[in-house]
This record gives sequence, C-alpha cells and structure tokens, in this order.
Amino acid sequence: MIYTLGSLNVSDIARRLKMNYASTAEHLQILESEGILLLHTYGRVRMYRFNEGSPRAKAVANLIEVWELKP
Amino acid sequence: MQNIHLQGTKMATHSVFRDESKLDINYIPQKLPHRETQHRLLSEFFSFILRCPERMAQRVIITGDVGTGKTALAQHFGANITSEANKKGLKFSYVHVNCREFRGSLQPILHRAVTVFRPNYPARGYSAEEILDTLMQVLDEEEATMILALDEFDSLIEKEGSDAVYKLTRLQEIRQGKPQRLSFVFIMRDLKPIEKLDESARSTLQRSIVTLQRYDKLQLIDILTDRVKMAFELGTVPEDLVDLVAELAFSETGNARFGIELLWRAGKYADAEDKGAVQAECVRMAVSSIIPGLRRSELVSLGLHEKLFLLAVARYFKENEEAYVSLSEIEKDYAVACEEFEVTPNSHTQVWNYSQYLAKLGVLRTEVAAAETRGRTTRLSLPSIPAVELEKELSAALRSQRGD
Repeated sequence: MIYTLGSLNVSDIARRLKMNYASTAEHLQILESEGILLLHTYGRVRMYRFNEGSPRAKAVANLIEVWELKP
Repeated sequence: MQNIHLQGTKMATHSVFRDESKLDINYIPQKLPHRETQHRLLSEFFSFILRCPERMAQRVIITGDVGTGKTALAQHFGANITSEANKKGLKFSYVHVNCREFRGSLQPILHRAVTVFRPNYPARGYSAEEILDTLMQVLDEEEATMILALDEFDSLIEKEGSDAVYKLTRLQEIRQGKPQRLSFVFIMRDLKPIEKLDESARSTLQRSIVTLQRYDKLQLIDILTDRVKMAFELGTVPEDLVDLVAELAFSETGNARFGIELLWRAGKYADAEDKGAVQAECVRMAVSSIIPGLRRSELVSLGLHEKLFLLAVARYFKENEEAYVSLSEIEKDYAVACEEFEVTPNSHTQVWNYSQYLAKLGVLRTEVAAAETRGRTTRLSLPSIPAVELEKELSAALRSQRGD
C-alpha cells in the first residue's frame, strides 16, 4: 500500500488495513528498523514512505511487481 | 458552467460552438488582453524567485472589482512563472486556493498547499499552526519555493481575523536565518477588509499592490472578440453582437466574466433554436435569464405613447436580426403602431423623450452615433428583454387599455 500510494500516516494505514492503531504502528516500526520504510515526523503527524534507496526495499518492490503480474 | 433552462430543446444540427470550453469560467486564455502592465508588475515583484530563490519572500495584493481579471491574472502569472522555473530546473510550485471554497477557514486552505507535496497528509485532526509548520518543513525537505495565491482573501479575514493574517505574513520572521520559501498573493475585490485588521497585521500586508481597473467598452470588445474566435464557429457571431455584449458587460461594472457568460448563454439559445448563428434576440434571452428585465408592473405604469414607442422597438427587433436601430427608423414603426391603435403620433422631440425615459428605466439603451449621411443620430438597442416577450406583453397591455 505504501509502495503504491506514497507516504501515509499511521492512522490512515490502520484504517485502510482495518487494523488497530497499536498493531499497525508496531508492524511499521519493524519495517522501518529493517530499512524498508522511512519515517518522517511533522509535529504530531508520523508519515511512512517507501525507502527507495534500500536494497531490501527494492527487493520487496520487485516481489510486489512480480506478484501483481497476471500469470 | 451554470445550468441553463431551455424549453422544448433539441440538439442543434450545426452548433454555433467550435469549443465552448473556451467560455468556461475556469478557462485561462494564453494571453490576457489589457492586463499586460499588471502582469509585468507581478512578474517584477516575484522576479527573485527565478534569480535568487530562498533569499527572500514576497506578499502581493491583487485588487479589483468583479470581472476585472484578478483570478485570471494570478493564474496566468502562476503558469508562466512555473514554466520559467521548470526551465531553470528550480523546484517551485504555484498553488491557487479560493478561500471561499473553504469558507475562509485557514486549516483546509493550508492543507491544500501541503498536499501538493504530501498528497496523503491527513485532512483532519491538526490545527492550522501545525499544518503551517508542516508546510514549511516539507518545503525545506523538498528544497522548494512556493507562491500560495489566496483568492477571495476577504473571506479568510472575515472568518479568521487578524491572528491568521499575522501568522501567514510574519512566518519568515520566525524562521530567521532559514531559507525563505513561501510567498503569497492575496486576491480581493477591495482593500476595505484589511482596514478591519489589527495595526500589526495590516502593516505586513499593504506593501505591494496590483490594482485592476474596470475594463472599458473597447477593452471588453477586444476580450470578447478573442473569446468568440476561440469558442465559436467562424461567422456565427456578428461584430455588432459583440458590441452589444460588451456594452452590457460594461454596464455591469465592466465585468468581462459577465460578458463571456452572456456569449455562452446566447450561443446555447442559438443552438436550441437551431439558428445557425447567434442573434441579438439570443443575447436578450440570455440577459433575461441572468438579470430580470422589465417588470410587468413597470410596463403597466408607462404612458400610452411610451408603450406604443416601445412596441415599435420590440417589433423592429423581433423582425430584424440587427443589434441596433436608429431612432428615425423606429419613428416610422411608431407611427404604424399609433395608426393600429387609432392614436395620432407625437412629434420627433416627444419620441426622443420616450427613448430617453425608457433608457433611464433600463429597458432600452441609447447612444449617439455619426449618421450615414451627415450629422448625428440616436441609436437604440434592446439589451435585456427578449423582443418577442416584450411585444406580447405590450400588445396585451395596449389592447386592455383600449378596452378590447
């Protein structure tokens, strides 16, 4: 979702995934610590975006693209 | 575009329009006739953006009456400066927001500016101050500059007052030492709302002002002629019809937008009746659909000869497609109308008086023009009431007066 839509804040991601805020934030923190996502903080707003400079993120992007190709 | 109600409409076999989108209220033409000086002035005020961005910020007010081209000027300037900045490889955005669209509330206005760079920034739950901070942070991250044009700025002043204006205009002072990234264009009809502001907020605003004067009739003719060329098929809008529309727009405080809308409506009436060309009657119908023409009560209060004179005018324009007629021509038709109702026609001087009185009422328009042979003649036009309707109403009133 973040790969497709660009930067999103935690509440927005939680709402779109129909998950609760705490679980969403926890998953996002893991992806951030793995270097796949980047966190930008604007005051109280925390927005995550895809880390295009990371090889791991690129691998994930490739996987998404291949996965979404019709067989 | 606004809705238009046409009775018993069918699609025209040959539309008078080539591209009616050129008459849309949101269309910004490639050139803005008679606003070149103001465009140059605006470009001068913001020339630093192309020469030394981040070194300074600017606040400019564009002011002028309705339909004087404020929005068009700002957007035209915005498109030009964006294109120049792109050529130079500068990161620059021109963002135009109509404050009235957000009921003058600062928070959603600033949100609109933030979403240029961060489209998914949350719309709710954050104050205007927080969003303004975010906007500056985002501009720093992107190393970009922005001109934020706040159209109908008076609605923001009305809703938010001095504090909001102060926040916007003193922004750079709080960020001293940092790159200056945000400039403003404030667009408003007049400067009166600024007088309501605190001294401190007011002093930050009234520096650079671009004032747009009302268009005169000849300027309106130029503007409308340009639009006719773009929007209508060749030869479907006669020159004297553009004159008529320009005159109407001029009487509506020199409002070019009103004239452009009239052209569009008149074109629609022409298409609805499959006329193949726009006629003066189409303009009259267009006007009467926008502004009320002569009220029936006013018609009844006219004297017998004024009614007969007006009947002659209505009949002339019903039978002829011209937009103007000379007073001497109408005098002949007036004599015929008098004969029909068994009344002796009055003298030329009296007839001239009727034309002046009806012009005062706003039913007719009169102008003095050079006669074809020598001397001067009075020309009449029937700008705002459909001749067909007027003839019907007058005939009924005269018959009832005679006791038919």
